[in-house]
Amino acid sequence: MTEPLDPALGRARALTRRGLGISAVALLAFAAACGLALGFTPVEARQGLAQKIFYLHVPAAWCALLAFSLVGIASALYLWLHDRRLDLFAEASAEVGVMFSVVMLTTGPIWAKPIWGTWWTWDARLTLTLFLFFLFVGYLALRAAVHDPDERARFSAVLGIMGLVLVPFIHLSVYLFRTLHPQPVVLKPSAPSLPWEMLRTLLVSVAAFTLLYVGLVTARYGLALAQRARESGDAA
Amino acid sequence: MPPDTGGYMVAGYVVTTVILLVYVGSLWRRARRV
Repeated sequence: MTEPLDPALGRARALTRRGLGISAVALLAFAAACGLALGFTPVEARQGLAQKIFYLHVPAAWCALLAFSLVGIASALYLWLHDRRLDLFAEASAEVGVMFSVVMLTTGPIWAKPIWGTWWTWDARLTLTLFLFFLFVGYLALRAAVHDPDERARFSAVLGIMGLVLVPFIHLSVYLFRTLHPQPVVLKPSAPSLPWEMLRTLLVSVAAFTLLYVGLVTARYGLALAQRARESGDAA
Repeated sequence: MPPDTGGYMVAGYVVTTVILLVYVGSLWRRARRV
């Protein structure tokens, strides 16, 4: 493989490769978490095997909310510091967050159908989560539509901060509103209300998903840096 | 005896795996182009 002429492009490509490597390790960890959930975790007595979707749905929701929170924080920092790397990180985190949201919004209804008797209900938690998903799909569409880099970064930063405002409402919605959605079993003031075997599997799965988030965002951020280096190289 | 909801569990795991692999694959393809 030939060495790129532009050092910035070379560094961006190396970062992308590192991100993909971390993602590959995270996928192995995800496979191990699936094995642990399916083979070595007890079946819940009232819900049966469908309860094991919990070990995918909760980590996906955690990663989506983490990703969108970091978009909001990076966006606010961008408006303050005007560092283009913050804007590119926000873009990377938003895209990965949308992907985790798709996992969350598909596994949720698959669990809900046998347990609630319906695929979907318009309660506060589900509706706010769907709004957050659409907001960040709009965020990515906005970025694709605006060609001036400064305008794109400024407009999308405002939208990213709006998304960050929604995140605590989503987490607290099960306390603030009457909702069908189960209440938190781990991220709450009191001790986790899960048997140890289930908590262990959940924590392993959360760790695998979080590592996957880190790997995917690193790769996606590296791609954005590489694209910027190529554009500035073309312009020179 | 727990209810028979194994089909939903399988669907959840298959859908999640497919979404993750498709996204990683798309990043991989984009990385090959830059």
